[in-house]
Amino acid sequence: MSMATFTVPTVAQQSGNNDDLVEKVTIKDLDFYYGDNRALKNINVSLYHGKVTAFIGPSGCGKSTLLRILNRMYDLYPNQRATGTVRLDNDDILAPGQDLNLLRAKVGMVFQKPTPFPMTIYENIAFGIRLYEKLSKSDLDSRVQQALQRAALWDEVKDKLDANGLSLSGGQQQRLCIARTVAVRPEVILFDEPCSALDPISTAKIEELIDELKEDYTIAIVTHNMQQAARVSDFTAFMYLGELVEYGETTRMFTAPSDRRTQDYITGRFG
Amino acid sequence: MATMISGASSPLYAKRRRKNVITMGLSYAATAFGLSWLALILGVLFYEGFSGLSLRVFTEMTPPPGAAGGLLNPIMGSLVMTFLAVLFGTPLGILAGTYLAEYGRYDKLSSVVRFINDILLSAPSIVIGLFVYEIMVATMGHFSGWAGAVALAVIVVPVVVRTTEDMLTLVPDTLREAAASIGLPRSLMIQKVAYRAARAGMITGVLLAIARISGETAPLLFTALNNQFWSTNMNAPVASLPVVIFQFALSPYEDWQSLAWTGALIITMAVLALSITARFLGGQSKKS
Amino acid sequence: MNEQHTAKAFDADLQDLSRMVAEMGGLAEKLVADAVDALAKRDTTLAQRVTTSDAAIDALQQEIEEKSVLTIARRQPMAVDLRDIVGALRLANDLERIGDLAKNIAKRVIALNAEFPPPKLIRGVEHMTDLVLEQLKAVLDAYARRDDAKGMAVWRGDEEIDAVCTSVFRELLTYMMEDPRNITFCIHLMFCAKNIERMGDHATNIAETVHYIIDGNPITERRPKGDTTTIPALSAAGK
Repeated sequence: MSMATFTVPTVAQQSGNNDDLVEKVTIKDLDFYYGDNRALKNINVSLYHGKVTAFIGPSGCGKSTLLRILNRMYDLYPNQRATGTVRLDNDDILAPGQDLNLLRAKVGMVFQKPTPFPMTIYENIAFGIRLYEKLSKSDLDSRVQQALQRAALWDEVKDKLDANGLSLSGGQQQRLCIARTVAVRPEVILFDEPCSALDPISTAKIEELIDELKEDYTIAIVTHNMQQAARVSDFTAFMYLGELVEYGETTRMFTAPSDRRTQDYITGRFG
Repeated sequence: MATMISGASSPLYAKRRRKNVITMGLSYAATAFGLSWLALILGVLFYEGFSGLSLRVFTEMTPPPGAAGGLLNPIMGSLVMTFLAVLFGTPLGILAGTYLAEYGRYDKLSSVVRFINDILLSAPSIVIGLFVYEIMVATMGHFSGWAGAVALAVIVVPVVVRTTEDMLTLVPDTLREAAASIGLPRSLMIQKVAYRAARAGMITGVLLAIARISGETAPLLFTALNNQFWSTNMNAPVASLPVVIFQFALSPYEDWQSLAWTGALIITMAVLALSITARFLGGQSKKS
Repeated sequence: MNEQHTAKAFDADLQDLSRMVAEMGGLAEKLVADAVDALAKRDTTLAQRVTTSDAAIDALQQEIEEKSVLTIARRQPMAVDLRDIVGALRLANDLERIGDLAKNIAKRVIALNAEFPPPKLIRGVEHMTDLVLEQLKAVLDAYARRDDAKGMAVWRGDEEIDAVCTSVFRELLTYMMEDPRNITFCIHLMFCAKNIERMGDHATNIAETVHYIIDGNPITERRPKGDTTTIPALSAAGK
């Protein structure tokens, strides 16, 4: 069993502009089980507001599993449980009494495969908003427009809001899903390999989007594309076999990582 | 001059080709055999029934032997009982199917329910008729249209359960997760997302159930019986097309027999129309 | 975990770069030795050969640059691989400058043609050259073996070269003050000494690069300096 090489104070002291880090999500001693199989071992990490944290690692290392704990997506399936604490601001989201729907309104998720609802583009966005707020038609219209603008999709769809969501291209569908997530005004956004099904130009657009969005949200992204992690994130966590091997500022991780395993992974020496 | 790739020289290849030709030939022959019977049936149906088809069939009551008449009351009776059967059976079927596909997906109870449903699906309809006779007709003391509707509903339910469960299971889990990720509660997710995605398939299921019960005669024999006259009282025996066809076809009277053929043609056309609509809807859902 | 990349061609590219840098290093060492040899032996033919041989070093630097850029574009290197390639680029630069400085010395040998300084003065320069060649050899060795300790030793050892340079300058000053006819060759000799002192500085640059490749962090110590030729001027300027 190895200890994670993670200390927040070291990270914070190293660089001047990180003095005002606001901790949004704190994960302590997190274990996760698929049945009897311990998939995550003793994870300790934090996510900060206004920053993007990337999770990288080989297949099966547990990065997607970790992400799906943050909005308790695993609750949809039997035989999966988490132990430890995950604090969002001051609330432990793993507590038994936690209202899952409220949690998921605060912690949004964008998936690997774009999944617009089988409705019009307008409805896709309005649907989520209507769940939580009663708005007049004009207010709703402007909220939908805001969400689509935030997702850099407004100009492309403003003339066809009544078209079916599934009639858009792959990259547009993914941006629609981002707009849908942003429309309900979450505080944390989780991206689970958002670009792996997209072409390079759509990928670049979405990376731009993440860069713009991060100011107002806490963002976590799982990616198997290391260059994307290097481009997009402020902090990176390298995971291997269910453990957090190394965590630090992205610039350090990709120029001079401390752990040998991290270096071997990011330079492509993994056998 | 270009030459083609040819493997005909090798004996192994030649043997395989021969086998292929023979098997294909047998397949075509079997298909032709089956299709020819279908063509024969439809042909005879049209030939015998078409001549009797006229406006009178849809406007006049069943006649006594020797007189002229139509099939208005059995058509009416069939329509009403089918409608009621669907009214009773569909909500039950959809809710049960939803349980199997959504709430009870990982339950042990679900596999039991599924098993029983499959048995019901292929239960002989005469057994169902007898069952409803016992619980409704015997206790009420008389035959009734309600009993007929209930018997048909018992046939509708397993069909709708099966198709609803299958169609809902086809909806990808990623869609459900996407709905959950914006905080949509389970019941709303099912109503607004899963149902909408599986809508065409579920409607197809209902249409198929209707097509199935349109031709069921046995259950109606024990429950709704038959009625020569126009009746809107569901508490009394009600006429239905399959039963009338049964009665008229077995009779020695020519005009009754011809009416029976016409009735058979009407049922066949109705089922054909329903099946085509169901197929069309299925095609639509694939496009979106 | 392997020492080798999953993409074997990447390993081959990195090894190629290392090899080219080592080749360049060897050429540079030879050039420096030959240039000072020409000065000591008053051999203008050797000096001529030195000036033409510098072209080979320049060509190698071009090759290394091209290969580095290509490897960066193709492989998107990270961490130690990235530092390796950037290091190779920096080393190529420093070695090319050393080559140019040697060529400059050779040119001065040719320019001196008739008037040669007494062997006594040249000895000082030869001593400096020996030290510099030792530094160069040590640092190129440190690069080839990725030996950080050896590299750091080179980095600290520049002090001695600077001290010898200062004493050579003082000697030459005295000579020039004695007799104005000595001024021409003394000036040339001063430039040669300065060139060799610059080569020592390049060797320490290479040492810094080697440390960066191995460690990933810049050196935080202050480098000990022995060159006092500029210090009086600074203090005079009131800095």
